[in-house]
Amino acid sequence: MLEIRVEPRGHVTVVVIQGSVDGLTADSLLGALQKEVAGGRTRLVADLSGVEYTSSAGLRALLATVKDARRHGGDLRLAAVTVNVRKVLDLSGFTSILKLYDEVDAAVGSFGAADRAAGEEAI
Amino acid sequence: MSERAHSPRIAVVVGSGGMKCAAAVGMWKVLHRERIPVDLAVGCSGGAIYTAAMALGMHPEEAERHTLVMWEGLFRQIHYRSVFRSLLSRWLGFNERTGLIDDRAIARVMETLYGDATFDDTRIPLHLAATDLHTGERVDLDSGRIADAVRASIAIPVLLRPWRVGGRLLVDGGASDPLPISIAIREGADIILAMGFETPPRAQLDSLLSLAGQTTSIAVNHLLRSTYAFYSAVHHAEVIPLLPSFDQPIRLSDTHLLPYIIEQGERAIEAELPYLRRLIAAADGVGDRAGPAGQGEAARGPARAAAGTLDAETT
Repeated sequence: MLEIRVEPRGHVTVVVIQGSVDGLTADSLLGALQKEVAGGRTRLVADLSGVEYTSSAGLRALLATVKDARRHGGDLRLAAVTVNVRKVLDLSGFTSILKLYDEVDAAVGSFGAADRAAGEEAI
Repeated sequence: MSERAHSPRIAVVVGSGGMKCAAAVGMWKVLHRERIPVDLAVGCSGGAIYTAAMALGMHPEEAERHTLVMWEGLFRQIHYRSVFRSLLSRWLGFNERTGLIDDRAIARVMETLYGDATFDDTRIPLHLAATDLHTGERVDLDSGRIADAVRASIAIPVLLRPWRVGGRLLVDGGASDPLPISIAIREGADIILAMGFETPPRAQLDSLLSLAGQTTSIAVNHLLRSTYAFYSAVHHAEVIPLLPSFDQPIRLSDTHLLPYIIEQGERAIEAELPYLRRLIAAADGVGDRAGPAGQGEAARGPARAAAGTLDAETT
């Protein structure tokens, strides 16, 4: 139902998510993302190109990770968001508090040197 | 009975949206067809019309028949005495129970749909949201005559006169809570099918009324999104938003669009069906309990089988 693959990209970690992020899978996603943050990998990009559905439970998992990552000086940024998921993010106001990028590379590149320094200091 | 104990409690919430709320009939038809039981109905404004009928056990096809005729001319007749008194309020005094529309046609629809039924007559719990005109509070109506509660919940400010229920003067629930998800959460729903309606901005503002309407729509749209965001983020209940999309603005006089509105309601719930079925099956732990009509009856718990319009015996 949900596949999660973690790909280190320099000082950024890309989490490739495929499937449905919902009440049945959100705990798995949250666990995987929290594991990255706990391991000091707080600059996260979620590649959502393979996610066609997210529910309120999925939103809660993303929100918890964003708060966690930012508390540690990092961030969770979303890339390649599909139309259906974008609608839910818009409706819930998440697009006004999260950074979204059309491409994964752009999201990775958005973490500049300053982010890196700040993140390392916070850990 | 043990299965019942583990079944998720499903609520239908239909928010304010004028005639667009007829999309609830589309959702209702699909839930009925798929034998997905509903444990709780919550409505607001136009949504109150449909959730009340649903809770009373009306068949969705009957609701559709009513819908295709009952909106015609509902808001056409001006209440001239109110207009006159409003214009001359300095001399005649202002009556806060004023509305620009003659509501006798609406009273007839209330009578046809609900008669003297009360909340005690519903097959599943029903809650309707209205707004206290004097305090601004959201009021949760769950007792008394259903026709009065619905009439209060649909009292569009300025157009329909406020309605007195239980000593309080009430107006449209959309003024305080256009999508009362909170009631469903408070009543213990695990899965909330939340059908809400945004009003797109008007292309042209050519009158004082259109200006006032635009401002109100903007405020209600933001309130709707904030409500969804808040309850999605903070509560464990699964809130499934159903936002039928319309390719054109829909006014109260666009009754020719009713079949289209109902169809868009069907589409909105159809898109969520795969996930809804998975959720129900996972919570029950007994496989896909809900299924197309004729396939799922044996798997449904007896208490739920009696739940309102989704009961096969009511067809």
